[in-house]
Amino acid sequence: MMDLISNLHLGFSVAITPMNVMYAFIGCFLGTLIGVLPGIGPVATIAMLLPVTYVLPPVSALIMMAGLYYGAQYGGSTTSILVNLPGEPSSVVTCIDGYQMARKGRAGPALTAAAMGSFFAGSVGVLVLAAFATPLTELAFKFGPSEYFSLMVLGLIGAVLLATGSLLKAIAMILLGLLLGVVGTDINSGVERFSLNIAELADGIGFVVIAMGIFGYGEIIGNLGQSKDKREVFTSKVHGLFPTKKDFKDMTPAVLRGTVVGCMLGILPGGGALLAAFAAYAIEKKVAMRTDEVPFGQGNIRGVASPESANNAGAQTSFIPLLTLGIPTNAVMALMVGAMTIHNIQPGPQVITNNPELFWGLIVSMWIGNLMLVILNLPLIAIWIKMLTVPYHFLYPAIVLFCAIGVYSTNNNTFDIWMVGIFGFIGYLFIKLGCEPAPLLLGFILGPMMEENLRRALLIADGDWWRAFMMRPLSATLLILVALLLLIVMLPGIKKKRKEALTG
Amino acid sequence: MLTKMLRCLLLVVFVVTSAYAQNYPAKSVRIIVPYAPGGSVDSVTRLVGQKFTKEFGQPFIVENRAGASGNIGTDSAAKAAPDGYTLLMSSSPPLAANIHLFKKLPFDPFKDFAPIMLIANQPNVLVLNPSVPAGSVKELIELAKSKPGKLTFGSSGVGASQHMAAELFMMMTGVNMKHVPYKGGGPAMVDLIGGHIDLMLETAPSAIPFVHSGKVKALAVTTLQRSGRLPNVPTLDEAGLKGYEFRGWIGLVAPAGVPKEIIAKLHDQLQKDIAGDLRKQLDEMGLDIAGGTPQQFADFIRKDSDMYAKLVKAANIAPR
Amino acid sequence: MKIKSQKDFYSGVLFMVVGIGFAWGATRYEIGVGSNMGPGYFPFMLGVLIAALGVIITIKALIIKNEDGDKIGPWAWKPLAYILGANLAFGVLVGGLPSIRLPAAGLIAGIYILTLIASLASHAFKIRQAMILATILAVGSYLAFIVLLKLNISVWPAFITG
Repeated sequence: MMDLISNLHLGFSVAITPMNVMYAFIGCFLGTLIGVLPGIGPVATIAMLLPVTYVLPPVSALIMMAGLYYGAQYGGSTTSILVNLPGEPSSVVTCIDGYQMARKGRAGPALTAAAMGSFFAGSVGVLVLAAFATPLTELAFKFGPSEYFSLMVLGLIGAVLLATGSLLKAIAMILLGLLLGVVGTDINSGVERFSLNIAELADGIGFVVIAMGIFGYGEIIGNLGQSKDKREVFTSKVHGLFPTKKDFKDMTPAVLRGTVVGCMLGILPGGGALLAAFAAYAIEKKVAMRTDEVPFGQGNIRGVASPESANNAGAQTSFIPLLTLGIPTNAVMALMVGAMTIHNIQPGPQVITNNPELFWGLIVSMWIGNLMLVILNLPLIAIWIKMLTVPYHFLYPAIVLFCAIGVYSTNNNTFDIWMVGIFGFIGYLFIKLGCEPAPLLLGFILGPMMEENLRRALLIADGDWWRAFMMRPLSATLLILVALLLLIVMLPGIKKKRKEALTG
Repeated sequence: MLTKMLRCLLLVVFVVTSAYAQNYPAKSVRIIVPYAPGGSVDSVTRLVGQKFTKEFGQPFIVENRAGASGNIGTDSAAKAAPDGYTLLMSSSPPLAANIHLFKKLPFDPFKDFAPIMLIANQPNVLVLNPSVPAGSVKELIELAKSKPGKLTFGSSGVGASQHMAAELFMMMTGVNMKHVPYKGGGPAMVDLIGGHIDLMLETAPSAIPFVHSGKVKALAVTTLQRSGRLPNVPTLDEAGLKGYEFRGWIGLVAPAGVPKEIIAKLHDQLQKDIAGDLRKQLDEMGLDIAGGTPQQFADFIRKDSDMYAKLVKAANIAPR
Repeated sequence: MKIKSQKDFYSGVLFMVVGIGFAWGATRYEIGVGSNMGPGYFPFMLGVLIAALGVIITIKALIIKNEDGDKIGPWAWKPLAYILGANLAFGVLVGGLPSIRLPAAGLIAGIYILTLIASLASHAFKIRQAMILATILAVGSYLAFIVLLKLNISVWPAFITG
C-alpha cells in the first residue's frame, strides 16, 4: 500500500509538469477530434505524429499517444449516440440505446451519462492498473486458445441478448457476421477464403468499412426513403442537457457493474475492451427492470452508461499487457512500442524497474487525461446537441463525406470506398427487411477469433475436444457458464413465444 | 548524319536526366511501407525518412499501404511512376518469399524493382518456454526426436519468417514439430510465455526483451554471427547445425526505370547514414546493419528467393 | 399460400441464398473433420446453419398471422442511387483510376462533387445551399484532416501539385 502511494507520488511528480499536462491535453484534444469524426481511427494519426514524438522526451511522447488513444475511444461514443455511427467495435453497443435516446431528444443525458460513466470507470481502471498490473498479467497468461474460444462462445451468447426484435433473425445475423469474418486468409492453413482473387480481400473485410456502410450509408438511405411526414429523424424538442434524478438512480448501479466488467475483461490481450462493452450490455439487459424504465433498444440510459463505462475501464486496463510485457494488444499500442524503441527504451517487463518514472508517469497521466476529457467534453455536449437541430438535408451529406474520408484514410486505398458503398446497399436491404445490424457486427468481430482459437486449441490437443476444452479448469468454467446462460435465455424466450402463439 | 543526330539526342537525354537527378528531390518523396504502422519495417522507414528529410531538404513521407502479406503496398510501388518520387521499403516476404507462396503476384519482384540498398539484417532467435526441458540446441533436438510431432512452435502466420526458419531447422535436423500459426508475433509470444506452445523462432527485435527478462529462454540465433544484443547466445551454426543460416532483412528499393543517378544519390546518402547514428538506433532495435551496392542487393534478393523456394517445397505449402 | 410477413419471408429467402452460397463456396476448400478442421469446415457449417435458419424464418413468415402483413414498402431508389453515386464519385476523384490512367483530382474537388450529388437525394435540394454546405465542409475538412490530423490525402488535383 505504501509502495503504491509512493509510486503514485512519483507518477504525479512526472505527469503534473506543465509540459506533460500540455501534451496530455494535445493528445486528448486530437483524440476527441478523431473520435467524433466517424471512421477516422487513431492509428493513422499516431503514425503521422510519430516523427514529432521522436524529438519529445519519451514520457511526454507516450503521454500524448495514450491521450490520443483513449480520447478517441471517448469521442467515439459521441458519434454513436448522435448519428448512430460506431467508429470502433467497442461503441457498437452504445448505438443501440444511445441513438434512440438522441432521437427522442435525450441526447444530452445520454452523452452526459457516457462521459460521467467513462470518467468514473477510467479512474477505477487506472487504479486497478496501478495496484494490480503485475498479478493481472499472470492471469492473462492463463488464457490460452481453449480459454479464448470458451470466452468467445460466452460472448456470442451475449450477442443474442443484443437483439431487440426477432430472436431467430438475430441469430441468423450473428451467423452472417461470423461468415463475413471468414473472408480473407485463413490463419491456420494460409488458404484465402472467399477473397475472389482480390488482393485487398486477402486480409478480410475491414470493420470500419462494414460499420460505416451499414450504419452510416444504409441508415441515411433508409431515412431519406421515408415518406415526408415520417422523415422527422430527431424530435425538435430537446429535453435538457443533464440526466434527471431518476436517470442518475438508474445509471449509477449500471456504471458500477460496467466498470467491474471492463476492468476484468480489459486485461485480456485481444478484444478485451470490446468484449467488455458487449458483456456489460448483456448483463444490464438481464438485470431486473423497474416498471417505469424505458425498454432496452428504445433508449434506456443504462444501455449507454454501462457499456461506455465498461469499454473505458477496459481501455485503461488493456494497457497492462503493453506496460508489463511490452506486448501491444492493438495497432495503437504497436505504435507506442515503436516510439519507445526509438527512445531506446526496451518495452517489456523491465520497464517498471528500469524506467519507473515512465511507467508511473504514464499511469497517472491517464487519470489526468480522463479528467481532461470530462472537462473537455461536458461543455461540448451543448454544441453537439445544437448540431442535431441542423436540418437533416445538411447533416447527411456531411456524414457521407466523413464516412468516405474515414474509410479511405485507414489504408489509403480506394478499394475501401467501393466496399463501403456495397455495404451501404446491404445496410439498406437490412433495414427494408427488418434485420438488426448490431448482432452482425459482433459476430463479424468475434467470428475470426473464435474459429482461430478453436482450431488452434484442437491442433495443440491433437483433435481431442474433451482434452482441449473440458480438461482445463478455466475453459470448463466458462463453458458451464455458457450452458447456464443459455438456459436463462431460453426459458423466458420460450414463455414469450408461447404467449405470442396464444395471443398471436 | 544519323549517328550525329543520335549522339546529339543521347547528349540531350544525358543532360536532361543528369540535371533531373541533380535537382532531385525537387518535391516531396513518398516511401511506401507495405505493412501497418508499428512493426520494425515501419520503424526503420520512419528513421530513414526523418534523416532524408533533413539531408535532402524535401519531406520524405512514409505511406503505409498494408495488406496481403505486403503485396498490396509492393504492387502500388511497382506501378508508380519511376521518377524517384515513390520508393518502397521492403522486407523478405514481398520480394523474396511471396512469389513462392502465392499462385499469382500482380508484380514481378525481380523485374519491377531497382534495388537501392540492403539496410539491415534481422536474425531470428530460437526461444523456448522455460518449462521445456532442453537447455541447448542438442537437447532440444533429442527431446523433439523422443516425441515426434508433439512439440509445438508458433509463428505469425503460414509462410512467415518464424515458420520458415523452423522449417529449415526441421529440414536440417530431421525432427518433426507441430506448427501453430498465429495472427501476428505478439499473440504467439503471449502463448509461448503462458506455456500453451513450446517454442518459436521469433524475430530478434520482438524476442530480445523477453529473453532479457527471463520470460523465455534463448538457445540460439539464426544468423552466422551472434547478435550484438545477445552476446552469450550461440548461433545455430555453432550449436551443431553446421551451415544453418536464416535471416530476415529490410532494404530500400525503387520502381524499375528510375534514373541511375537518383539510385546512386540515395544509395550514397544511405551509406553515410548507416555509418552514423542510424547504426546505433537500428542496433538498439536488434537489427544488424548491412550495406553494400545496389547490385549486391539485387543478387542477394535472388539468392534469398531461391532459399524460400526450397523451404516452401519442404514445408509442403500450397500456393494460395 | 399467402405471405403473412413480407419482411420475414424475404429475409428468410436471403439467408437461405447466402447460406447455400457460402456453404457451396466452402466446398472448394478442404473441409476436414471435427477433430481436424480444414479451412472449409467453419464456413461450411455456418452456411448450412444460416440456410436452415432461413428455412425456418421463411416458413414462419408463411404461417404466423400478422395484422398488417409486415410489408417491405417501396424502395428508395433515388436516395440509394445518389448516396452510392456520391460515394463512387468521391472515390474516383480522391484516388483516381489507375486502370484508365485517370489522375487523382484531390480532396477538395471530391468534397464538392460528393456534397452536390448526395444533396440531390433530398427533396429539399437547392444548388446554392449545397454549394455553401460544400464550401463549409471543404474548409472544415481541410483544417481537421490535413492541418490537424495530417492525413496522407492529396488535396489538390495532380496537375497543379505536379
